[in-house]
Amino acid sequence: MNLEKIIFGFFIILACTLNFGFVIGDIDRPELHHASELFAAIIVNLIATVLKFGDRTHIGATHLATSLVAVLQLLAASIVWMWQLHITGQPMDGQVISIVVSLSGGALLANFISVILLIGETLKQSR
Amino acid sequence: MGDVLFIALRRLRTPLITLILAYAISVAGLVAIPGVDAQGHPASLGFFHAFYVVSYTATTIGFGELPWVFSDAQRAWITFTIYLSVTCWAYALGSIFALVQEPVFRTAVARSNFARRVRRLNEPFYVIAGYGQSGTALAHAFDELHTRSVLIELRPERAARPDVEVYQEPPLALCADARWPDILTDAGIMHRRCKALIVQVGDDEAAQAIAIGASALNPDLTVIARVHSTLARANLDGFPNITVIDPFETFAANLEMALATPAVLWVEEWLSSVPGSACPEPPVVPKGHWLILGYGRFGHAVARALTHTGTTWTAIDANARLPDEPHLQHSDNSVESLHTAGIEQAVGIVAGTDRDAMNLALITRARKLKPGLHVIIRQNHVAERSLIEAARAHLCFVKSEIMVRECLQLLVAPLLNRFLLQVRRKGPQLAEQIAVRLLTELEERVPHIWVFNAYASYPGLRNALAGQTEHPLLLRELLINPLDPAQTLKAVPLLLLRGDEEIMLPPPATALHSGDRVLFAGRGGVESLQHRFLLDPSPLGYVRSGVEPARSWLFRTLQARQTR
Repeated sequence: MNLEKIIFGFFIILACTLNFGFVIGDIDRPELHHASELFAAIIVNLIATVLKFGDRTHIGATHLATSLVAVLQLLAASIVWMWQLHITGQPMDGQVISIVVSLSGGALLANFISVILLIGETLKQSR
Repeated sequence: MGDVLFIALRRLRTPLITLILAYAISVAGLVAIPGVDAQGHPASLGFFHAFYVVSYTATTIGFGELPWVFSDAQRAWITFTIYLSVTCWAYALGSIFALVQEPVFRTAVARSNFARRVRRLNEPFYVIAGYGQSGTALAHAFDELHTRSVLIELRPERAARPDVEVYQEPPLALCADARWPDILTDAGIMHRRCKALIVQVGDDEAAQAIAIGASALNPDLTVIARVHSTLARANLDGFPNITVIDPFETFAANLEMALATPAVLWVEEWLSSVPGSACPEPPVVPKGHWLILGYGRFGHAVARALTHTGTTWTAIDANARLPDEPHLQHSDNSVESLHTAGIEQAVGIVAGTDRDAMNLALITRARKLKPGLHVIIRQNHVAERSLIEAARAHLCFVKSEIMVRECLQLLVAPLLNRFLLQVRRKGPQLAEQIAVRLLTELEERVPHIWVFNAYASYPGLRNALAGQTEHPLLLRELLINPLDPAQTLKAVPLLLLRGDEEIMLPPPATALHSGDRVLFAGRGGVESLQHRFLLDPSPLGYVRSGVEPARSWLFRTLQARQTR
């Protein structure tokens, strides 16, 4: 058992599950999507990205690419949210929350690929 | 770039995660803790405001309590946030500074900058491996010719030297081991503008590894390698693109020429010295008995040259590890041992130890015993030139000067090199013939050397070389001044290269074919006058017929009607 591997796998899977938890629910009902969950997803995704830094193998590069995509999508989602509340100054409505959720849905797909890569890498280990 | 980014990201993983966590905890806490708005209603901060407050607090900017005055619970949390985030920032910044200072990182940055600058070079350049005395002299010689050099040097204190030396165009230098193929690639040996690689490292093993590695990477690259052992020479001789120079052997070959065929050596020096300088004196090396002081690699090479020309010699060396030889005297360089070696009947002395002060002392002592000796001295360090000049030797061996002369001959004037090799092969008769022509047709100065390419692709030569004129283009016609046909240009055609055929001192009536290359020696300025023949057909037509040909269609038609 390798502590580094545990931490690595933990953050990648947590990034995916938190993202999933935020996305699940009707896309246009703001009350089903809580900001805290998006916040947690962003933080965990950022940590997962940094953990993937500096691996020069091909699979490492793909890992990093998926994380960068996820972080980008989640940040875009949070900026849309911030814009609606603080710059437009309107309460959250169904139209805007569906943009936020669909952006996070894209991030979920990237995170899902990341998890598949993790599983594939694990299965490749014959030891 | 890959290396730099890789190292930076890898080392900064922990500080970055620490920072992210510190921000996450601070923001989450600020969102969770209840506060009150301006009207006194309970209202906690949103993520946007929390992130804003933490951002300015963590970076110690401190705009105050926004958007509303904080509750005491919020203040308590902000206090905690300040200590947490400032500590984390200090740690992250400390890590970044430590990384920038780190030798591994700095090496990676230097290497990536070097590789980028070499990649972007858009001019012909030479790669020099080894920046010792010879490398320095060669880089400066290339700089004089306005050609850039790229240097690879193993020792950091030497690799840093080009920064403080005076160059018109500073060379690009990298401190690295040139034996690694990726270093050679970074230095640009696969670059399309790379003209040659010159290997001048102290160790023969390394020189071989670099030369062979470079030829494996780029078989078309011209490689010049300086080696000292016959084994290394034999290893490298199999490669068609590698030229091997052994400075000791080169000097010995020159000495042999000075003894056996002085005229050949004279012509060689005459044609390969700096153009415009005074004509060198014909070399005079007396035959008779010679003393060789210092029987190392240099002494051996000199002894061999003397034996070839039938000159007797005695070598003196105190090194007990040298095997016994008939002409070798194991002794120190005292007055007695000079007497035993036969200084009375000697005509010359070679001071060839690897210490300059020692050589100087030997010369002084020998001259005291016999004043009229012919002196050959070996100079080991470029910096000790004044010391060696004080000895007023007849001939001085400087490794770096020989390397520079040989490299320039091979790289800058390859046709001259072919010509001189031919002269060496054909012997003193041809050399005397050349000397007479240079003296009668030019002047007692070192001539400029250039190559005239008679290619049909030049617009000025197209008609004459394609056979569209009455008679073929003659070599003689290239020596008519295009500005004043009554005058001949001060130049001597030395060599005509037609395919692989070399015609020495081609006669003036030689008809030129397309693809011919002619090596000329002549006055400065003649080359640019000859250049006028290339670009425009009218100068050639003028010198051949004496009539300025019409250039425009109207006048051409009129001229044709007139002559009809």
